[in-house]
Amino acid sequence: MRLTNHPILGEAEARREVTFTFDGRAMTGFEGEPVAAALKAAGVVVHRYTKKNRSPRGVFCAIGRCTDCVMTVNGRPNVRTCVTPLEDGMAVATQYGAGEEAK
Amino acid sequence: MTRYDVIVVGAGPAGLSAAAEAAAAGARVAVFDENAKPGGQLFKQIHKFFGAKEHKAKIRGVNIGAELLAEAEGLGVTVFLNAPVMGLYKDREVLVRHADAVRRYKGDAVVVATGASENMLTFPGWTLPGVTGAGAAQTMMNINRVKPGHRVLMLGSGNVGLVVGFQLLQAGCELAAVVDAAPRVGGYGVHAAKLARTGVPFYLSHTVVRAEGTDRVTGVVVGQVDDTWNVIPGTEKRFDVDTICIAVGLSSSTQLLKMAGCALRDDGAGWLPVCADDGETSMARVYAAGDVSGIEEASSAMIEGRIAGAAAVRKLGFVTEEALAVRMAELESALESLRGGMFAPGRRGKIPDKTDEGLPISASLLSRGYLDDAEVDQYPGVKKTAGIRPVIECTQNIPCNPCRDACPKGCIKVEGGIVSLPVYDEKAGCAGCGLCVAACSGQSIFLVDDDTGGGAAEVTIPYEFLPLPGEGERGVALSRSGAALCPAEVVGVKQSPAYDKTALVTFRVPQEFAMKARFWRKEAVV
Ligand SMILES: Cc1cc2nc3c(=O)[nH]c(=O)nc-3n(C[C@H](O)[C@H](O)[C@H](O)COP(=O)(O)OP(=O)(O)OC[C@H]3O[C@@H](n4cnc5c(N)ncnc54)[C@H](O)[C@@H]3O)c2cc1C
Ligand code: SF4
Ligand code: SF4
Ligand code: FES
Repeated sequence: MRLTNHPILGEAEARREVTFTFDGRAMTGFEGEPVAAALKAAGVVVHRYTKKNRSPRGVFCAIGRCTDCVMTVNGRPNVRTCVTPLEDGMAVATQYGAGEEAK
Repeated sequence: MTRYDVIVVGAGPAGLSAAAEAAAAGARVAVFDENAKPGGQLFKQIHKFFGAKEHKAKIRGVNIGAELLAEAEGLGVTVFLNAPVMGLYKDREVLVRHADAVRRYKGDAVVVATGASENMLTFPGWTLPGVTGAGAAQTMMNINRVKPGHRVLMLGSGNVGLVVGFQLLQAGCELAAVVDAAPRVGGYGVHAAKLARTGVPFYLSHTVVRAEGTDRVTGVVVGQVDDTWNVIPGTEKRFDVDTICIAVGLSSSTQLLKMAGCALRDDGAGWLPVCADDGETSMARVYAAGDVSGIEEASSAMIEGRIAGAAAVRKLGFVTEEALAVRMAELESALESLRGGMFAPGRRGKIPDKTDEGLPISASLLSRGYLDDAEVDQYPGVKKTAGIRPVIECTQNIPCNPCRDACPKGCIKVEGGIVSLPVYDEKAGCAGCGLCVAACSGQSIFLVDDDTGGGAAEVTIPYEFLPLPGEGERGVALSRSGAALCPAEVVGVKQSPAYDKTALVTFRVPQEFAMKARFWRKEAVV
């Protein structure tokens, strides 16, 4: 899913690779990219399940407006992953409801 | 509380232009943007812009953004990022949330350039992961450099849907179809034709019946609508897609203006601030510029920004009334020229059936996204001459003329205003340099040599995909509708800094296909 080369944008610039976890699974991404981008690149599309109907949500606006992409990051719920820069060692988890069930 | 001469909300093309204009006159200017990066929509726009030279036509949006930011910063403008403006109050006080604290600022003038947000469309399954805004897809692929999906359905055939659709192809995604409930393609014909010739089908008068999938999109069902927008039973079609991209229009982000108490008016499609010609709202020295004052283009947003910036510094006494008048005349004429043509904001979506030149407007282009082969010859950009010649398939009046400026031989004329159709002047003697092909923002110019010997013809097309074909590579030539026509061997691939990343691919086809073949694909011939 990564665009390493692009007809207009050219080669992607080298970025520092970091490791993080998604629901406990180890993954890699680039430091400073939005958490949502690292997840997308790894094929993760479900970010959370709503409280009411347990219906899945993923990235919708990608600019921090819609809150569809919120997850539990480092134990803190409701983090908008599309505008949160990825850091080395981050623990990212699927959010259920308002995050009250986050471990 | 910190005071500035001019405070600008939003660092998009409108905001940065307002800031640069004001700072150039000597004002102390601060710009606040909630984003981590400046530029607003500009940095996602990797295509060459329309317009004329003074509107930065032919330059890719992303490069315009970089230029504008450098200009503003060079003039001493302070740009605060990650700084959402939460409130605008009387006496032009603004409240800004910084990472560490909420701070108050006061501007002697304030320019609100908050842009627009995407409209949504609801249908069964619309909340599933995989349904995204077109802007989100752009952010993912052009900023984050991650593919938004593998196979995508585009909902909306306006310029945003068409441009993002093309960008999806450039990112290596498949585009299953462009779907629009309206009976006509909403955006420029040249943008639609770029997609159609690669084989993307258009479904006009169609809407989404439902998105399929339990945890993510696995497919989509669309159906044809009748006059009352209801789906006609039996017309449903299903596509295997993992992504549905929504591009059904934008709405001005007027929250801040509304909260401040600026007068708003209902323009039929949404609420817009009531503004004077220079952008001043009902609040003294509070200006609105760019998409927030009415959805248009980055080109017009930049001029509106400059107009607001110029008006503000005049009010604050930085420039004389005479200097302002001169500048305003310049800016207003630039804005006027952009607002012409068949898609002009004043036309409100009413499509004429003839061009300004009195030629028929292609119904095929409007309903299927491509010109019918039989229609092409009637346009002034298409004339049969011996040897290599440009074939300009630009058939709607749109504000654009870089083709004219590109030709060193003067073969291309756009006369009587920039919305006129480009004319090929066959007497000028085309040298086959290809500069017009690369410069055309709509990728609608081709070079054709009808007779290169042995019953063959050569066609040169603009090509912005990877991998680039190599000389001698065999594939198939595709028609304007994307149908495979005949085997075609690539006989030339040209790249040059002057082409700005658009490659020129020349392929050889039997003569009868010279005026039919408009794309090339690597593919075994069936
Ligand atoms: C796919 C696509 C293709 C396009 N193609 C073209 C083209 O070919 N040619 C062309 O001329 N135009 C094109 N446009 C249109 C163009 O991008 C927009 O018209 C233009 O960006 C509008 O500029 P703006 O400055 O008004 O708003 P924006 O670019 O939207 O910028 C607004 C800025 O304000 C910020 N903001 C909003 N609210 C706040 C707040 N409360 N506090 C702080 N900051 C805030 C936002 O973060 C943003 O950075 C295209 C648009 C799209 C989506
Ligand atoms: S190929 Fe060169 S000379 Fe010929 S029309 Fe285009 S720009 Fe002019
Ligand atoms: S042919 Fe000229 S006017 Fe038409 S899209 Fe291309 S550059 Fe613009
Ligand atoms: S996707 Fe909308 S806030 Fe993140």
